[in-house]
Amino acid sequence: MVLPILEFFKRILSDFDTAHRESAAALTGVEVKELENIFALLLLGSFIGLPSPPSFLAVELLPFMERELKVLNSRARDAGDMLAEMVGTIGIG
Amino acid sequence: MKILFFTGKGGVGKSTMAAASAWQLSQKSRVLIISLDPAHNLGDIFGTVIKHGKTKFTNTLYLNEVNLRELSREYLQKEISVLSSTYSYLQVLNLDNYFSILKYSPGIEEYALLTSIEKTIRDETDFDYIIFDTPPTGLTLRFLALPKVTITWINRLTGIRRQILEKRYTIHRIRGTLSSEETVLDYKEEDDDILKRLWELNDNYQALDRTLCGSDCNVVLVFNPDILSLRESQRLIEGLDDLGLPLRLLVDNKVTEENEEMATYVEKQMKGMAQDVPLERIQLAKTLLYGRKSALYDIRESIIPDSW
Repeated sequence: MVLPILEFFKRILSDFDTAHRESAAALTGVEVKELENIFALLLLGSFIGLPSPPSFLAVELLPFMERELKVLNSRARDAGDMLAEMVGTIGIG
Repeated sequence: MKILFFTGKGGVGKSTMAAASAWQLSQKSRVLIISLDPAHNLGDIFGTVIKHGKTKFTNTLYLNEVNLRELSREYLQKEISVLSSTYSYLQVLNLDNYFSILKYSPGIEEYALLTSIEKTIRDETDFDYIIFDTPPTGLTLRFLALPKVTITWINRLTGIRRQILEKRYTIHRIRGTLSSEETVLDYKEEDDDILKRLWELNDNYQALDRTLCGSDCNVVLVFNPDILSLRESQRLIEGLDDLGLPLRLLVDNKVTEENEEMATYVEKQMKGMAQDVPLERIQLAKTLLYGRKSALYDIRESIIPDSW
């Protein structure tokens, strides 16, 4: 009888821990995504008229940029609804 | 091994001077002359056909013409193969089409040129002299500036990449073992492909920049006794100075008895901008004035100083 209750409390504590860790990591996660987005934008900026490095540098790094391109794409897609983005980031609702 | 770049305005006789110097130097040393100008005429000057790669002219003189279009194509082809092996979702797309557009993107040709210069300097170590005949001023300055520009960009990009990895590491530390079910993004600097590639590129360009600005690299500036070529040469001197490239010789080409006054004036102006640089005056062959043929061997003056 005591064991399941103890297990139950242990679960609660561990979930509590997870939730806190997740919320602490979430903001940094957003920051990383933003940086990755900037990295991709800087490198491929010539496509939208930003001053950019020599295009061969973009070509050199392109093979390794799969994740950054995905982030860039999703950021561009969500840019239309910035409010929802912000609310999501701050964690309201 | 000494590296010589012949630069100057279009039509002043860069290729001829480069070819004549190559010929003169090849009497005593092993020389490789490479034309980087898309409008090649090295083969015409030597009266031979230069096929792919370097062609032997004499035992001590080798000629080469760089095919820019082919270089860009080869380079992009190499990238495509890496690209299709690392991207999972681009497999379905026709990458060739995408790259056929990239081929015309600004910068690719200059990069291809720079790569070929780098490769030549690295591989052709058994020559005493490598002479590069460059395209007209604008393109030359642009590709000679490339290593410095690229290094600046690489440094900035490396900075951002480091920040990303640091933040990823923070997340990893906070989440701890919890993230074991998800894919963990690389957070170690030595695991990150992008950073690794950036470092590699940085090393390459630093090495190339050191070579180009080093004591074995010599830029030769060819000009004619006329105001137009004087003005452009002055701009070129400023450009070289900005890039820290060593101007080591001025050549006043196509001087005749008639334009000697102008030649003296232009030379004085040029000397004013580059005080310690030696100047060589080359007479225009008399036969050319009368529309007759002239040979490379007719150039009697020794173009490159003996001390080199």
